[in-house]
Amino acid sequence: MPHILSVEDDAEISRLVGRYLRAADFRVSMLPDGRKIERALEDGRVDLILLDLMLPGEDGLSLCRRLRTHSSVPIIMVTAKSDEFDRIVGLEMGADDYLSKPFNPRELLARIRAVLRRASAATPIADRARYLAFSGWRIDCLVRELKDPNGTRIVLTGAEFGLLQVLCERAGRVLSREQLLDLTQGRSIDSLGRSIDVLISRLRRKIERDPHDPGIIKTVRSGGYLFAAKVEAS
Amino acid sequence: MRLDIRAYLPNRVSGQIVVLLIVSLVASHAILTFSFLYYHRHDEPPLHFPEQLATLMELISANPTDQRETLIASINRAFPRFELAQLPTPPATVSGAASSDYEVAGFAHRMGPNYRVMRLPSGPSTPAAAGDRIVIGLHDGEFVSARLVPLPFSWFGPSAITLIVILISMPLLGVWAALRLTGPLRRFASAAENFDPNGEIAPIPEHGPQEIRVAARALNQMRERIKGLIDDRTRMLAAVSHDLRTSITRLRLQCEFIDNESARAKMLGELAHMESMVESVLHFLRNSQTGRQTVALDIATSLQAICDQFADTGREVGYHGPDHAVIRAHPEDLHRALTNLIDNAVRHGAKADIKLTLTQPTVTIAIEDDGPGIPDALKQAMLEPFVRGDAARGMDDKTGFGLGLSIAHAVIEAHGGSLTLLNRVPHGLVAQVVLPQAEPKTLH
Repeated sequence: MPHILSVEDDAEISRLVGRYLRAADFRVSMLPDGRKIERALEDGRVDLILLDLMLPGEDGLSLCRRLRTHSSVPIIMVTAKSDEFDRIVGLEMGADDYLSKPFNPRELLARIRAVLRRASAATPIADRARYLAFSGWRIDCLVRELKDPNGTRIVLTGAEFGLLQVLCERAGRVLSREQLLDLTQGRSIDSLGRSIDVLISRLRRKIERDPHDPGIIKTVRSGGYLFAAKVEAS
Repeated sequence: MRLDIRAYLPNRVSGQIVVLLIVSLVASHAILTFSFLYYHRHDEPPLHFPEQLATLMELISANPTDQRETLIASINRAFPRFELAQLPTPPATVSGAASSDYEVAGFAHRMGPNYRVMRLPSGPSTPAAAGDRIVIGLHDGEFVSARLVPLPFSWFGPSAITLIVILISMPLLGVWAALRLTGPLRRFASAAENFDPNGEIAPIPEHGPQEIRVAARALNQMRERIKGLIDDRTRMLAAVSHDLRTSITRLRLQCEFIDNESARAKMLGELAHMESMVESVLHFLRNSQTGRQTVALDIATSLQAICDQFADTGREVGYHGPDHAVIRAHPEDLHRALTNLIDNAVRHGAKADIKLTLTQPTVTIAIEDDGPGIPDALKQAMLEPFVRGDAARGMDDKTGFGLGLSIAHAVIEAHGGSLTLLNRVPHGLVAQVVLPQAEPKTLH
């Protein structure tokens, strides 16, 4: 049973999150501020920290940066501020994901599961590349941004971005629709139940020179899809 | 002790102007009178001229013979109107005072008994205009010649140059003083123009005449108050947004434990509505404070993404236009503005069409719906904050504070573009957005 440590100063939210996550088969410990966080980490195995940004005493950003100096435990930042700036700073401080209040509890659950799945994968989270580049295009996985070869921002929906990232990270491999659905689930709540084919055609329209004769995302007959461009990670 | 002239000046601008006027009038009159009295007297004999010449002769006599040449040269530099010259040999007709020459006789009388004075006769060895010159015999037998009357006034003489300098410098001085007096007013104007509540601006210096000091202090106090108000608003926004979001988060979590499915769905719906209202108000209030950089943005893919999201929720939204079109924008702000407009269209019509056309140097986005439209009289008001469409627009009370269109309007104007609401034939509304393709000049 994965152990989640929730650092949250609002007692009511803390209680409700605990109750909700326990119902979803997690073990949950709670702290009202960041003072005892180190001891909690030493006391027992912690699989993930839910860290509120605005805490009494040391704030979430500085806690996150401090934790990152000696621990690679996955961190999801939760904050009642939703400025773009906060999100980027939070992720750059070493958080694995970012959720702004008010959040949908089901999305919180999905994010927790996705981060835990990534953490248990062979590659440690810290080693994952932030930037992926292909055919002049550039993906910033941290702030979820795509730029074309001229440096122009291309807006993708969350589901499209998740699918592109999954394809990119597994370039050169044929992925079936079932595999893609499985890999993208949990990354973004709105990809659930969406046809992979629709997402692929929308992606092609945005990144392919000729969407009817795709050169980057190729269809493999009776197999699925293949990311054909060469990907460089940095 | 250092004398500070400013301590004796009047405190007020009006007083300073009066003093400036009086001082310059008195000074110019005094200088003109002085120069008139001293340089413009041509009547004979010139005032003190023979006496001054006698003094000079006394000076020359007192010096040894071999130094007189340099002495005379330096006298000529200092007092050119005497035109002194040393005579190497006594003139031929030096023979006592010519009593018939009254002019010279009077001159000799005024110089005193120590000098023999006579008119210099014309001759090849003497300077031109010799008739106006006199020869003065010193007591040791040397002779010096000088002018009988001073040199007439010359535009290039030292007195004329002094006068010209005064005539030029007085107005310049006046202009400088006037500029100094009005300088603080220009500083006020530029301080008011450059006032940026988000930036740090040095206060206006509080010195100068009394009115200026009072105005500068008042302006600085106003600046402090405005900054205070804006800081208060920023803090209030942060506090309100934090507390409201925290409350909504609690309610959302509590909803998860409600067993009655229909009650839960209703509450979640209300919460989503509350959240969107809170976000729209906060966004509207925050909008004027952002001063971020613009980036190159593919507006075509942005519109496609928004349309796709609405289509995924079961709305009939179609995008018509090129696959790519680049503008410079704040991606998040513009995304919100376009989402608001398209949301408005799908809410009031059965279907919405989004058309993008490239019209150098702008791009035009037309968001068309087939709903009831807005009466012409209401169109402008709809762009104002906190104004809702009335019954004609068929709005239910789920439309929030009526900020959707005003946020879109403010964002689009901040991008240097325009938002126009037009009627569609036979019915419906067209929200026409025109955005510059080139980089907007200023964005806030």
